[in-house]
Amino acid sequence: MTNTKPARARRRFNWAPYLLILPSALYLTLFFAWPMGQALVMAVREEGVLLRLRGEAERGAPGVGQLPRGAQVEILDRQANLIPPDELGQPNLITEQWFHLEAQDAAGATLEGWAPERRIRVREFGEDGEPIGGTVRAVLAADADPLTAVHAEPSEGSEVVGHLETGTPVAIFDQATLEIWYLVRSAVDGQEVEGWVQSRYVRVFGEEAGARIEQGDSGRFTMLHLQRMVNDRFFWPAFRTTLLLVVLIVPAQFVLAIIMALVIQANLKGSSLFLYIFAIALGVSDVAVGIVWYSIFTQFGYLNSILQRLGLIDFPITYLSANTTHWIIIAIWLAELWRSTAIVMVIVVSGLQAISHEVLEAAEVFGANLWQRVRYVILPMLKPSLQVALILRTILALQVFAVVIVLGGGTVVTVLANETYRQYYTLRNVNLAAAYASFILILSLVASLFYLRVVRTQQEVTG
Amino acid sequence: MTTAVDTRKPRVEVAPEVRAVHRRMLRRQKLSRALTYAIGIGLSLWVLVPILFIASMALTTPAVVRSYPKSVLPFIPLSTDTLEFFLGSRGILPGITNSIIVAVITLVLSTLIAAPAGYALSRYLFRGRDIFRLSILAVRAFPIVILSIPLAVVFLRFGVYDNVFSLALMHTALALPTAVLVIGSVFASIPYEFEEAAMVFGSTPFQAFRHVVLPLVLPGIAASAIFTFVLSWNEVFAATILTIQNRTLPAQVLITLQQSGDPYKFAGGFFMMIPALIFIFFIRRYLFNMWSQVSK
Repeated sequence: MTNTKPARARRRFNWAPYLLILPSALYLTLFFAWPMGQALVMAVREEGVLLRLRGEAERGAPGVGQLPRGAQVEILDRQANLIPPDELGQPNLITEQWFHLEAQDAAGATLEGWAPERRIRVREFGEDGEPIGGTVRAVLAADADPLTAVHAEPSEGSEVVGHLETGTPVAIFDQATLEIWYLVRSAVDGQEVEGWVQSRYVRVFGEEAGARIEQGDSGRFTMLHLQRMVNDRFFWPAFRTTLLLVVLIVPAQFVLAIIMALVIQANLKGSSLFLYIFAIALGVSDVAVGIVWYSIFTQFGYLNSILQRLGLIDFPITYLSANTTHWIIIAIWLAELWRSTAIVMVIVVSGLQAISHEVLEAAEVFGANLWQRVRYVILPMLKPSLQVALILRTILALQVFAVVIVLGGGTVVTVLANETYRQYYTLRNVNLAAAYASFILILSLVASLFYLRVVRTQQEVTG
Repeated sequence: MTTAVDTRKPRVEVAPEVRAVHRRMLRRQKLSRALTYAIGIGLSLWVLVPILFIASMALTTPAVVRSYPKSVLPFIPLSTDTLEFFLGSRGILPGITNSIIVAVITLVLSTLIAAPAGYALSRYLFRGRDIFRLSILAVRAFPIVILSIPLAVVFLRFGVYDNVFSLALMHTALALPTAVLVIGSVFASIPYEFEEAAMVFGSTPFQAFRHVVLPLVLPGIAASAIFTFVLSWNEVFAATILTIQNRTLPAQVLITLQQSGDPYKFAGGFFMMIPALIFIFFIRRYLFNMWSQVSK
């Protein structure tokens, strides 16, 4: 560990190292810590279930109450307001077109301002198809104001700069799209609330007499996703299989890796070749590994070919089918063993290289046989490396994914990572996917803490 | 019984019992060496035979791939038909292009971000150094599966979903912790005295870094970069979640696997292995350097 000691120690405060680590720290915060926290939040939050009502038809206006999704409301009033252009693409918007126009009012004064499209009959179009002129429509309702108001800005809430009579010709030189706000009233828990909501959150029916809250703008804490995850019919099989795979894979590959490491450490001629061969699987993708073992276990694959050529079977056996899930598990086990033993081997070899040769020679001189040397000298000294390898491997085994899909198809035998993927991709349930992912995270943390406590390193025991 | 031994004389009369013991030990040593070789060869076969199987299936004609029982002798007849069929399948060539783009961006981005941090870890003693180092180590104890879902939501919101560049951003996050630790260990293996000596002879700190340290660390950093490339090339979970049209090769193969025939599968499996076989050969010298540091 000598080379981890920093070579340069400065007395004056030095900004350089902080500037150097800043990009990494920022990047990991942005793309690692933040999404991880976000996933946990998504697992226990229900977004869009509450809708805030505003005191005025304006985004920043103070809230006057809130309504749950699905609540029936009565519409009392409407108002059109300008919204940022990038929000126009949202579904469910009820919009209104407004014209920027110029006209002479009854008194002969020139008026410039905005009026809704429904009050203007367009009669002239420009070369590009845009309306450039028209007349003011008649107001049909008997009790309504027969004059059409012209507003200073494209919003009903804005100041009225004047009025136009029916039939007045107008020049149109611009238009804008506005969203409708509704003044709604409803009773929640016996209490009446009244306030403004944007059209995007409600489904209006009738002639704008009533509406239902379709979607909220704020969320709340919920156990719903976790409950649905636990009640999901794939949850327990996935959980069981994942745990089973961890228990099958991790110990077996440690035995295998330690044997590999001892072979390399024996310093035979050609041990660098052994090293390369043992390390090959380190870089092989898990999809490829799944396919490799599929070629062996598939019905017309290598295993059956060899057995048949040896005369042990007369016709091919089916291994990878719904009726033979134990064979699928065995195939996954072998594939994972084949693929990920390499990383443990590399960690164990680098741990072995740190053990001084004197210690091993001393053990040999005093007549310890191979088993005794492994059990009483090598394993205790390897503990720190083994701890790291255990944590790393268990976490990776909890996330086993592609191999399972390739060998098991993803439905007969399923694992937690596969359920995360299925919830996200096939069932389009982001929150449930986040719940599964969070569950994997919690399992990983539990496993890490367990190893840190149980496999104590040398210093902790002596110190 | 060794009282008569004169150390200046190489040849001494040794009692027959001692010789017998010596012979026995030699025999035992030979035996244990032979045993070690046998185990080593056995384990090598465990690793190599499956690769041989898939390679011989990929490098033959589709008719042979479908035949049963399969010949255990490989490469009969040797042909690139199966591989060509795979490469000609829909979505494979774009998948390869996407995979390479993602892996190269990941390589460049993670090396550029990790190198300064690795240098800082190995050359400076600063308050918070241990916390930074520990948190980098701890990051590896978190499952990466969990990152994909929230990132997918965010990418969707910003309109960069199903995009090779946003996938590369995610892969960079996966590769960064290892890259920082490995590059740190590479810098740490170059004694600071080299830089000091250069500065004594009048070079600026930057010149010392550029002309003395950089040439020495470049191979190690290259090894780390290759490892990053392989990591991104192989990554499949995030790739299947974050892309739909612009799939990378592993994602494309995984998604189309159930509807495909054996020739496609075997050729795909073999093709995806090739970079690993080549790259691991080049960086094998650095593997232990890397992991001895990372596992501390």
